[in-house]
Amino acid sequence: MPNLLDPQTKQALLEANRRLQEERAQISTTLESIGDAVLSMNQNGYIVYVNPRVEEITGFTKKDLIGKFFNHAFHMVDERGMEVPIKHRPIRNAFYHKKRVTSNRYFYLKKNGSKFPVSVTATPVLLYDQIIGAVNVFRDITREYEIDKMKTEFISLASHQLRTPLSAMKWFSEILLEGDAGQLTQEQKEMVENIYKSNERMIELVNTLLNISRIESGRIIIDPKPTDIRKLVDEVILELQPRLKGKRQNLAISVHHELPLVNIDPKLIRHVYMNLLTNAIKYSPDGGEITIIISKSGNEIISQITDTGYGIPEDQQERVFQKFFRARNVVKKETDGTGLGLYLTYAIVQSSGGKIWYQSKENAGTTFWFVLPITGSIAREGEVSIDS
Amino acid sequence: MEDNSTAPKILVVEDEKLLLNAIGKKLTNSGYAPILCQSAQKALDYLASTKTLPNAIWLDYYLGDMNGVDFMNELRKNDGWSSIPLIVVSNSASEQKRQAMLSMGAKKYLLKAQYRLEDIVKELAEMIGV
Repeated sequence: MPNLLDPQTKQALLEANRRLQEERAQISTTLESIGDAVLSMNQNGYIVYVNPRVEEITGFTKKDLIGKFFNHAFHMVDERGMEVPIKHRPIRNAFYHKKRVTSNRYFYLKKNGSKFPVSVTATPVLLYDQIIGAVNVFRDITREYEIDKMKTEFISLASHQLRTPLSAMKWFSEILLEGDAGQLTQEQKEMVENIYKSNERMIELVNTLLNISRIESGRIIIDPKPTDIRKLVDEVILELQPRLKGKRQNLAISVHHELPLVNIDPKLIRHVYMNLLTNAIKYSPDGGEITIIISKSGNEIISQITDTGYGIPEDQQERVFQKFFRARNVVKKETDGTGLGLYLTYAIVQSSGGKIWYQSKENAGTTFWFVLPITGSIAREGEVSIDS
Repeated sequence: MEDNSTAPKILVVEDEKLLLNAIGKKLTNSGYAPILCQSAQKALDYLASTKTLPNAIWLDYYLGDMNGVDFMNELRKNDGWSSIPLIVVSNSASEQKRQAMLSMGAKKYLLKAQYRLEDIVKELAEMIGV
């Protein structure tokens, strides 16, 4: 075959080829040296590359994996060993939503059949907005998982132990306040009332810690039942009436006139409304306005809770759902608060298949929205329920 | 421990001495005759020795010597004992425990730290109808 390239082009091609080889060597050594398992697949989900960590972690060899359909080669299971539905798998979602998906909730099965908790990042490979493959980076998080489990068990145990002395304080101060151990002077009564109230705060804190440890451990029961959301919210409002009156706040509610019964866990969702409304009351000044709007849009029920309160400082807004976070503008106004309420609320909404977000302006107010799918929450057979 | 008064007898089984004292005081002040037992075995011994069975049992779940389910199993061995209305007042109220105790015949399962003594006494009064 005659050489049709002029010497200059030929030289340029040789150089380009050399550069590509160099880049390839760089990338390949990088991939083979890193501590995470890296696996890539083509646009049809067939494995085209695995680095040595994949072999070390899973026990599968390159030969076992290359050319195999990813979902057939790797079995993703939950804590109880049940296969994770395809729609919850990171790699499927990376392909489906064309975006990076992370997960550390599930387990992969090794070649020998044993499972290990895994942290997965699945990323689609896009070229001109077309998916040409995907990369799955994962690591074995057995150690983190065990430490987390120990932490959760510790909180649970410590909290249960704390409840016994808290019960003793509650009951003895009750006996004193009732005059069952003789009449108290006004001053003594006020002091014992302070002990009683402080103790109640401690009981609430322990309850919240227990709820968090339950939800974080994934042991919580999700028991969806057809629920009348209007009725559920009315009950919460009724319970909050004394506080609303105490602060002379006005609460307005508007609910979609044809709201269907939604299959949710009423105990859990009640917590969400209770927390958002308690916050609205607590973090709004006397005479504030609180509005609840519950509407239906497409396949979702949207709840909106607006207050005319202190708001969240803009530079702290991204921390709102973090554990123990309390905004700097309210810690002085309201000393009673744990920074755990919204964290728990967020966790409940997530595990119920919903979403939650907010908008806030300091000294103007805050609006929280949370949506629940009309199709309801997925049941989970856990071991513990909230508030037990 | 035999009591001849007409006040309704409540057998209280609670391994925490302080809590047992508080319950005893409240029940006495509310017109009941409490029989205070700090272990399950003491409660069973009392039942075996008494001529008049208590009107109700107030039971903690975790006791030093056995748990609530074991205690209920012991009660079931005697028809008279198993028909005494029983209320569980515990600081551990997982759904499993609650279901197990209710299915074995407990009338109520209350979370200790959430209830004032007065409210538990009301539940008790409702349960035995006095």
